[in-house]
Amino acid sequence: MDVLLAILSQFGLYGLLTLGVAIIFAALRVVNLAQGDLAMTGAYVAATATTVAFGWRVLLACVLCVAPLMMIERILLRRPLADGLATMLVTWGVGMALRQVAELVFTSTSRTAAAPVESTVELLGTPYPAYRLISGLVAVAVIGAVLFAAYRTGWGLTLRAVADNPTMAALLGTDPRRMRTAAFVAGGMLAVLAGALYSPLLAVNPSMGFGLLVPMFFALLFSRPGALGAAVTAAFLVAALAVLLRTWLTDTLADALFYIVIIGAAALRSRSHVRRLLSWSRRILSPARSS
Amino acid sequence: MVPSHPFSRTVVLTTVAAALLTLTACSGSAVSSAAGDSGAPLKIGVVVPLTGPVGETGKALQRGLELGVQKVNDSGGVGGKKVEYVVVDDAGDPATSTQLARKLIQQDRVSMLFGTITGDTAEAVSKVAEDAKVPFGTAILGDTEGCFPYSWGFGESTRQILLPSVPELIGTYGKRVAIVGSDYNYPHFYAGIAKEIAKSAGGTIVAEEYSPLGQTDWQSVITRLKDAEPDVLLSMVVGADAVAFSRQAKQFGLLTSRLGYDGAPLDTDYYPALADLVNGRTHVVRWTDQLDNAESKEFVADYRAKYTFTPPIPEVAGNAYFGVQFFLAAAGKVGRNDPQAINTEIGKMRFDSPLGKGTHFEPANHLLQADMLETTIEPGGAYKVTRNLGPIADNVAKQGCS
Repeated sequence: MDVLLAILSQFGLYGLLTLGVAIIFAALRVVNLAQGDLAMTGAYVAATATTVAFGWRVLLACVLCVAPLMMIERILLRRPLADGLATMLVTWGVGMALRQVAELVFTSTSRTAAAPVESTVELLGTPYPAYRLISGLVAVAVIGAVLFAAYRTGWGLTLRAVADNPTMAALLGTDPRRMRTAAFVAGGMLAVLAGALYSPLLAVNPSMGFGLLVPMFFALLFSRPGALGAAVTAAFLVAALAVLLRTWLTDTLADALFYIVIIGAAALRSRSHVRRLLSWSRRILSPARSS
Repeated sequence: MVPSHPFSRTVVLTTVAAALLTLTACSGSAVSSAAGDSGAPLKIGVVVPLTGPVGETGKALQRGLELGVQKVNDSGGVGGKKVEYVVVDDAGDPATSTQLARKLIQQDRVSMLFGTITGDTAEAVSKVAEDAKVPFGTAILGDTEGCFPYSWGFGESTRQILLPSVPELIGTYGKRVAIVGSDYNYPHFYAGIAKEIAKSAGGTIVAEEYSPLGQTDWQSVITRLKDAEPDVLLSMVVGADAVAFSRQAKQFGLLTSRLGYDGAPLDTDYYPALADLVNGRTHVVRWTDQLDNAESKEFVADYRAKYTFTPPIPEVAGNAYFGVQFFLAAAGKVGRNDPQAINTEIGKMRFDSPLGKGTHFEPANHLLQADMLETTIEPGGAYKVTRNLGPIADNVAKQGCS
């Protein structure tokens, strides 16, 4: 039970971050290197706006980030869009700027946000921190809602159409610029939410986002543009692998093995016969429907 | 037939190339010239991280040192001249520390070096100081396995911290001791000494866990520690991890009032983030801003006024303040700006300060032999002195100095 709950908690964090970066990747074809730093800004809002209740702080963080995210996308990311690498470097710069501002305003000393619920709950005989469970469940619910929107609403259809073929989507009447802005705001907001929601479990400091990037990138490695479900599944597998290894082995050994397994899996996946096998399995699992 | 010139073009080019290669090799391998100029005012090179994850601790060290130098200058300086200092930011990176320490010695002609926060940067500067034969003072807490002939540590050693605290914890909470640390050299060194002291105090080591730096989820480590049912937990989990670990340990019910808890997370640096978890606990330190001593109180008042600082003043600031005065007293005793002679004098000096009467360095390990204080952490961050433990000797010899 302990292990399952640990996976739930880790998946909530990694899932929100990965889903956010996958949405941005789908619409902009750019890996947002500022995703971890956006989580850091969310965590700072939750740790510093202590005059309001914790739940409101999380909401406040999500609302406050909308305008800055829109400005970042419109002012900084739109111009170098022709060059994916340049755009990615811009996101790196945005992340650095966020870190520097946080260091200037809050210093590099770590802070914490007090958990709104300090008690423990009994789950099948296992006592477990209540807030840890709540944060995991909220994160999973949000991930589910976003996936529902992506696969069952018009917005999701448009997003996936832009991800598959932006030119064709534009010819069919989709405004790719509006979609890119919406995707960047939605993806960034998920990172801000992850940071705010998990702030009572983490040390809040300017460089905290950096450590969150690695599992998120690993998860992204196993999906393709627009495949949000695959990105979330990959985040779940990464979280499960990390938790299981750390349950069975010492942390140091588990960390080393984690990287070996991930890199090995990525290398294996790039083999042509494995790619073909994955492609067939996808067709078997979701066969094309006749019109 | 034209006779060939005894210094043909090939010979000249080869000679020039060989000379250039020799010069390049020399400049890369060692700091060539000893620093210091006997007629000039004494200059200190301060290498500290002012940016990055340990930037705040670096700033505390710099501030303590600045006030220490100011105090010496207010009372006439060294050799009738005001002491000068140059501050450089190494951002906690050992390669940068090496480069900056070399620059300070070769270009700024400093006669002594001071600073660094992390163990790896301290070792990097120690090597440069040894090459150039310039004394180097550190103020950080804890020590390492090795020793350098030109390096002197003003922070308390691991033994000086653990010798009084571990038997006390075992006596109060119980014999089952668990150790947790970040996975790099120092926590392993700390654990080695902790195990030795715990066993001689009748304790049993029931768990020992290490985790790589930058860990966000501590559930598996906490579960293993909880399963071991410890009475005492010694933690050398450092940096942001110390905060995340302590918070999660509280959430999982490991960190309760029934568990003895000591180590890095109880340092003043972490107090703002962990106040509710450490209030009421005891912590052994070399210096605290609550020390009832006129000279120490004056420093605290100056520090708070000059830097508009209200939280607990980090111990490293006090160590730097009194440490630099120790160094400058040695330089004053030598009477000339000679780094090697100053280094020899540092090794022989006995210096009275709020850190103790006749504080001095043990020749076998270059660790300051000074008083230790048992403090109790009060709400608001006051580390009140509950007991002056007197000088705690650490004379265990170390390779490099013994």
